[in-house]
Amino acid sequence: MAATPQAQAQPSSAAVRGRQRRAREEELLVWPDLVFIEFISAVLFTILIVILAVMVDSVLLDRANAAITPNPSKAPWYFLNLQELLLHMHPALAGVVVPTVALIALGAIPYFDTSNEGQGEWLSTPNAWLLTKIGAGVGAVGTMLLIFFDASKHVQIYEWIANGELNANPDSPGFVAWPSWLSGIENMAAIRDNIAWPEWMFNVPLGDVLRTDLLGFPRVELDWNIPAFLVEQFIPVNTMIGLPLLLSFVAHRAGWAKTKRDHMVLQFSGFIAVYITLTIVGTFFRGEGLVLIPYTIFAHE
Amino acid sequence: MAATERPQRRTMGDRLYDAIFSNRVWRSIFRSGYPNTPRNQMLAVATNVFLHLHPTRIHRTHVKITHTFCLGGLSFFLFLGLTITGVLLMFYYVPSIERAYEDILALETDVRFGQLMRNMHRWMAHGMVLTVLMHMMRVFYTGAYKPPREFNWVVGVVLLVLTLLLSFTGYLLPWDQLALWAITVGTNMVGSAPILGEPNRFILVGGFQVGQAALTRFYALHVIGLPLLAAVFMTVHFWRIRRDGGLARPL
Ligand code: HEM
Repeated sequence: MAATPQAQAQPSSAAVRGRQRRAREEELLVWPDLVFIEFISAVLFTILIVILAVMVDSVLLDRANAAITPNPSKAPWYFLNLQELLLHMHPALAGVVVPTVALIALGAIPYFDTSNEGQGEWLSTPNAWLLTKIGAGVGAVGTMLLIFFDASKHVQIYEWIANGELNANPDSPGFVAWPSWLSGIENMAAIRDNIAWPEWMFNVPLGDVLRTDLLGFPRVELDWNIPAFLVEQFIPVNTMIGLPLLLSFVAHRAGWAKTKRDHMVLQFSGFIAVYITLTIVGTFFRGEGLVLIPYTIFAHE
Repeated sequence: MAATERPQRRTMGDRLYDAIFSNRVWRSIFRSGYPNTPRNQMLAVATNVFLHLHPTRIHRTHVKITHTFCLGGLSFFLFLGLTITGVLLMFYYVPSIERAYEDILALETDVRFGQLMRNMHRWMAHGMVLTVLMHMMRVFYTGAYKPPREFNWVVGVVLLVLTLLLSFTGYLLPWDQLALWAITVGTNMVGSAPILGEPNRFILVGGFQVGQAALTRFYALHVIGLPLLAAVFMTVHFWRIRRDGGLARPL
């Protein structure tokens, strides 16, 4: 049988990267050792799928009818993360820019992290497992906090504590409401609607500024709404770029993440956690009108 | 079993196998003898067009279930299963907005094993999205995207997108309320892109609304366009795994 497993193979030079020295004694024959595993898992999974298919029928609703819009209307589950994003920012950003950038970033991972550190074994760099947990935890909790902010949960919790009663009647005497000077941060839309922006900011005529007509191009007829731009684009973009950067910065300063691979593990784990959290919220916690449910826990009604 | 081992003694079973497997017909199909010696075991893999996707030997750590959790293999297995059940479903399905929904209803009630085929197709489709995502995670956490496997990771990302698109295009075909509105919501996301969004949505849907044109396009993409593309990329993916020296190992 095989010789005793050799000591860890020596780190090879960059020139022979990937063409590891072949230790024959460390190798197994594909037939039978791999082919049998594949065969058995194929049989096993066929049985599993048949059992599942016998027990659980797939859904078939009423015939498609363009005149009746179901409420809520939802995309397939693996796109509900994007649909969830859509509720919090400009549709072009959530529906197109974010997924495109995310896919490109995903594909670019190996071109940033070109070391061979941690290769070929599960989470084998010293802090990999810790960083996975931190990334996943921060990603999941951070996403939930942001969703809670946009659903004004902080307002409801404040009023709950201030009144000592959940869902107190706002018309009752002595009702303590969210301070009006903070009304600008009740949720995202409030930043646009409740802050006393000067009137001109809602309507900046870009055509007068850009003067593309002087260059012989058509004049830009576009009015720029700065508060809306802040809420729909500027803040979301900076949140999505800034928070991950901040996380990496903190992990770096704390000494948890030292190499590119460390930062990759941190960021990838964060990304996966955000993705899963958004998918779960979009799938299970968005009811009629895509309102966050169980809404009644903190609702005024 | 190491390659250096001597052939085993011939047992009763081997004699029986020889009787069955040494006749002219069998030998015309499988040139090597029954794989009970290391030499024949390697030949069995190397001379079979399907098995030769594998190398003849692999490192012992890579057959541990916990290294890959079989996730890439499972994704491929589900793809094959989806192809088979998909072809069977095509026997009974006409992609017309008048007939599609009735065809699915008939499939569920009148066609023997129709409901079973539809269920299997649907659960495997959901399953494949999951296994592909989990496969990507296992590749990431085992650091298997590092050089020289960068490009295969990119091929993987393309396969992920194709898997999602395959599932998305299939979603419309039953032509029920779920299908229509999920695709409407999904394609509207495309439409929201600046400048190119609306033209792209129009091309995808073939009109202003999800209707017959959309069903025709999604059907064509779902049953032939995307599966072909996916098969091409899978071929590259598997070929590259071997070119890159098998699965990643610590350096
Ligand atoms: C339809 C989708 C896919 C199929 C059928 C597939 C199939 C496979 C198979 C069978 C393997 C062999 C090892 C294993 O089973 O884990 C593999 C390895 C690999 N896959 Fe995939 N894959 C798919 C998608 C992806 C995705 C989405 C990625 C990454 C973004 C990816 C990146 C890789 C890489 C880098 C390897 C080499 C792993 C190593 O060296 O350890 N694949 N793939």
